[in-house]
Amino acid sequence: MSDATVFIVDDDQAVARSLRWLIETVRLKVETFASVQAFLDGYDASKPGCLVLDVRMPGMSGLDLQERLAARRMYHVPIIFITGHGDVQMAVRAVQAGAFDFVEKPFHDQDLLDRIQRAIAHDAGQRNREEQRSQLKALFASLTPREREVLDLVVEGMSNKAIANTLGLSAKTVEVHRAKVMEKMHARSISDLVKMAMQNPSVTT
Amino acid sequence: MGSEVMWLGLVALGGGLALALISLVYLLLRLHEAELRVRAKEAEHEGVLDRLQENEYRLRTIIESEPECVKLQAADGTVLEINPAGLRLVDAECAEDIIGKRIYDVVAPEYIGIYQENMARVFAGEAAVYEFKSITLKGRTRWMETHAVPLRDARSEVYALLGITRDITEHKWAEEQGRRHQTELARVARLSTMGEMATGLAHELNQPLAAIANFARGCIRRLRTGEVAPVELIEPLEEVCEQAERAGEIMRHARDFVRKSEPRMSAVDINQVVRSVVKFTEHEARQHETVVTLQLAPHQPRVWADSIMVEQVICNLVRNAVEAMAERHSLRREILIRTVPHGEDKIEVEVVDTGPGIDETVIDQVFDQFFTTKAEGVGMGLSISRSIVESHGGNIRAESRAGGATFRFTLQAIPVVLRKDERRYSLHS
Repeated sequence: MSDATVFIVDDDQAVARSLRWLIETVRLKVETFASVQAFLDGYDASKPGCLVLDVRMPGMSGLDLQERLAARRMYHVPIIFITGHGDVQMAVRAVQAGAFDFVEKPFHDQDLLDRIQRAIAHDAGQRNREEQRSQLKALFASLTPREREVLDLVVEGMSNKAIANTLGLSAKTVEVHRAKVMEKMHARSISDLVKMAMQNPSVTT
Repeated sequence: MGSEVMWLGLVALGGGLALALISLVYLLLRLHEAELRVRAKEAEHEGVLDRLQENEYRLRTIIESEPECVKLQAADGTVLEINPAGLRLVDAECAEDIIGKRIYDVVAPEYIGIYQENMARVFAGEAAVYEFKSITLKGRTRWMETHAVPLRDARSEVYALLGITRDITEHKWAEEQGRRHQTELARVARLSTMGEMATGLAHELNQPLAAIANFARGCIRRLRTGEVAPVELIEPLEEVCEQAERAGEIMRHARDFVRKSEPRMSAVDINQVVRSVVKFTEHEARQHETVVTLQLAPHQPRVWADSIMVEQVICNLVRNAVEAMAERHSLRREILIRTVPHGEDKIEVEVVDTGPGIDETVIDQVFDQFFTTKAEGVGMGLSISRSIVESHGGNIRAESRAGGATFRFTLQAIPVVLRKDERRYSLHS
């Protein structure tokens, strides 16, 4: 079973309890928070899952929370907003500001649960990509400056000879660096290497 | 001696004659004088008569050509004289249609009483101005206004009523339109308050309803999969009941809010009223990105009030603040509601916003009926608020500062001594 957690932030304790009761039927972990501040104080960003947030909340609103999370410039769980009926304006704003999805009250239980599952899947995908990206970053970081130079030129499509001329090295030395790069990057082919280089923002910039 | 006597006789005779002559001349002179005087008088009279005739002619011309109805009328309502404008006013073809007839022929039956009362006043020597509805000889309905004065004869007794009457139908109609317009505005204001109420109510009701649905669906899902012991369902089902009661409570509150009846006074916790208003206006405040904060006096200050009415006042103030800040696109949108003890026997409620403030030139008018600065306002909210506060023996004021507007009103606090006996008040609520 998934180890994802559904975080619920709702000042209305009865509603929060009822959401927990409903969401637990699909065997998801549920954590409830009575206010935006309580969530910000207690939220563990490393836990996968999604956030279910009612836009109607006094004090700091759901939209504020979304802004706060965005301002942290860190990955955070996708947010599903619960909006009042006909509160389209609010929903549009939430989505524009990066919300994953929203459900309009009154909602059908299956509808909410489906959206939660999609959000959790999205979160897992994001975390996976995030993981790959950081692995890739580590691989790039393992290269020496000379190896980076060789890699950049290989990716540009230069031949060993052309690289040797450009860098003022012997073709033999370039050959050695190139083999080392392939090994360090766990690349099986040049096209693998190109793909990795494309995914690494530090190369493309 | 004989001649002497004769002489004397002659002299005497002459003297007598002269005297007689003088007397005669004098007499003649006097006579002449008198005649002259009489002649002069006669001439004078003739001139006066001429002038009188001239005057009468002039007056008649003025009256005949007068664009408004001029009429003379006897005490019993008989029309003695009427000018052409008057004939036109009552749709008479010729003078005979109305002269010699009773004026009541052209007064609407329901106004005959009023007409007679005013006539009686005029015949008692007073001037009178009165309005009445007229049904003309052709059956048209017109509104009339008459200025009437008594006409007196030589013995200074009132023998007729001189009335100048004009057709005020158009004016009346405009007035009526104005009145209808006001009634309509009041109705719209009430509807719009109720409309806003309904929105707040819907959002408020959504909460328990959503909770009920979630609890019930959670139960159904567990029962379907059979992975639940009946005893585990008791707690969520109890929650369902509680939430249903909560919804009922909200409905009852809303019904009180729209109810239109005599104020129901009781000992009210003003802080509780403020919290209730915040709930109802929460949705609107959030939509306009307004943060509402509360600073409530400790110890639950009690006031003697109709809680729903006071709620309406605070509601109006909060709503106005929200709208003012949104309409002028204020960057900071904050509302602070405070309850502050004010002297020994009063509590003051303050609604402070960070909006554009109030223009000094209109600050005295904000509580007037139909005064509004809002694009879609009707100007009823503050005027209703003031009458509510004043009916509670308090007063309401508006202030403008650099960073926004402050509205504050006072209510009569219940002395602490009395508060010990709360039952006294619960009898009324």
